[in-house]
Amino acid sequence: MSNLIKQRNPIAWLLDPVEPTADQADASYRFDWSPTAWLLPIGLGTAALVVSAVGWATEAQQFFFSYLVGWIFCVSLALGGLFFVLIQHLTQARWSVVVRRIPEALIWSFPVLAILGIPLLFGLHDLYHWTHADLFDPASPSYDAVIAAKESYLNIPFFLGRAAFYFLLWSTISYKLYTLSIRQDVDGDPQIPALQRKTSAWGLVLVSITTAFSGFDFLMSLDPHWFSTIFGVYFFAGSFMSIMAFTALVAMILQKAGMLQGTVTTEHYQDLGKFLFGFVVFWAYIAFSQYMLIWYANMPEETLFYRHRLENGWETYSAVLLIAHFLIPFIVLISRSAKRFIPVLGFMCVWMLVMHWFDFFWLAMPVLHEHPSFHLLDLSTAVGLFGIVSGTVLYRLSRHSLVPEKDPNLGKSLAFTNS
Amino acid sequence: MLKQLIADIKASMSIYDSEKDESYGLLAEFPDPGALYHAAHGVREGGYRRYDTYSPFPIHGMDKAMGMGNSKVGFLTLGGGVFGFALAYWMQWWTGQVDYPINISGKPFFSIEPSIPIMFELTVFFAALATVVGMLALNGLPRPYNPLFYSNSFKRVTDDAFFILISSSDRKFDAEKTGSFLTELGATSIEEIHDHGSADA
Repeated sequence: MSNLIKQRNPIAWLLDPVEPTADQADASYRFDWSPTAWLLPIGLGTAALVVSAVGWATEAQQFFFSYLVGWIFCVSLALGGLFFVLIQHLTQARWSVVVRRIPEALIWSFPVLAILGIPLLFGLHDLYHWTHADLFDPASPSYDAVIAAKESYLNIPFFLGRAAFYFLLWSTISYKLYTLSIRQDVDGDPQIPALQRKTSAWGLVLVSITTAFSGFDFLMSLDPHWFSTIFGVYFFAGSFMSIMAFTALVAMILQKAGMLQGTVTTEHYQDLGKFLFGFVVFWAYIAFSQYMLIWYANMPEETLFYRHRLENGWETYSAVLLIAHFLIPFIVLISRSAKRFIPVLGFMCVWMLVMHWFDFFWLAMPVLHEHPSFHLLDLSTAVGLFGIVSGTVLYRLSRHSLVPEKDPNLGKSLAFTNS
Repeated sequence: MLKQLIADIKASMSIYDSEKDESYGLLAEFPDPGALYHAAHGVREGGYRRYDTYSPFPIHGMDKAMGMGNSKVGFLTLGGGVFGFALAYWMQWWTGQVDYPINISGKPFFSIEPSIPIMFELTVFFAALATVVGMLALNGLPRPYNPLFYSNSFKRVTDDAFFILISSSDRKFDAEKTGSFLTELGATSIEEIHDHGSADA
């Protein structure tokens, strides 16, 4: 790779695979917080994870479920970022160039997320009922014919192989897109947009399929009797919604600190808001499609999933999900002026990120708890993992230009208006 | 009062009332889209409110130059959507629960789950219908008769000519002053339009 120095230290490579290029960036696109600002979220995150580790020792099963929810929240956020970058390149989007560096910095989280996923390997038996060998043994009293029939898919070696494949694929595509974009900052090679588009073409197909299957594997298989083919789309809908909230929020924070002045404008925020609104609705559409078909068919093995979530107090949580993940953001974000008013949009971005986490909580926790309960570990693991991921994002942002400044469409993005 | 209101609403659709002497307004021709754009802004700055611009193709930013603000069509869309939503809910309840209750696999006669797709569809349908019909209405379309059709030069508006019409019902309108004002703004020719009140002139 020309004009771009690869990072040699393997630990630093995980955080950012290339040496900093910020000193060559245009002054108005430079990160001007302290270069060690990223250590703050990382420190907070690590502290929260150390506290959570106490939970691992005392309440292992609760710890693993909480950790899974926090981890899958970060994975889905990074997947949303990957989808966003892929789609912007494929469609040669102009409006989004000024905000694209934020998801680009996020997608190199996959290697770190793979490492952060390692603790879950110690909890496979606590998390995934189907990992118990006796379920597959016809002689055993706990033999389960339904799960045994799924043995060719639901077995530990294949599960781990799939997980490794997902992260390898996501990391490879992210590496290509991230380093191509950084290299463009340095040498402005006119070939780069075509290379990004080429990677995105095959990348989008594979990322779509693996996203759906990772949803099946990490979340749906928590309840191995249950299945829903639309679940992969449900997982995607939430991911793509959350990246809009994340991107807008990071841009707002950077602007609040005096960066990106006059670069990211109300027009870009309105577009991110439109996407956020659109995918709030899309999420609800998919969630309802799943619910209505199961309600209509009324098959015991399918209704079980909703049964758990509509009794013993979980019905309140389901109602909160419907109201706070759909109705409230729908009503607030539908108006043009709300999407153009930064305090309202910013509040809704935080709101939707919290609801996105709550969505995973609602998916996973009824498997563990018959009656709803909120544990401190839910908070500490989520804060810990999100802190580490956002710290590494900040680290990458601080080392490079905040905008893909030599993208041929940057001028059009800067001049973009909604009228 | 009511007459005034109706005239204002019609004017917002660029349908202007002609004066008693059949005077409809002044039609000024401009050489190119840029000149039209600046002239439209100038007419607005000059205090005129009842005027419209005509060009063979849409000119980007013209709505802003004319100071038109956001379209009101969104409110009609909302109204149509709410109406469709309510209609579908009522229809599902009335047909299922009241008019023709049938027991289908033990399900309730009326329940919200299977009604939501219908409510969604009719919301979208009536919202879209209200948008299209509302857009046409707000633009005063279709409009088979327009006094501007008496003008020979106006025939080129679908080809290569750019016009501004200032209605004689505008409060600031004065045939002489308005004419010289338009010339100052760069009009190449100015024509008085009379409304003879019938399509066959």
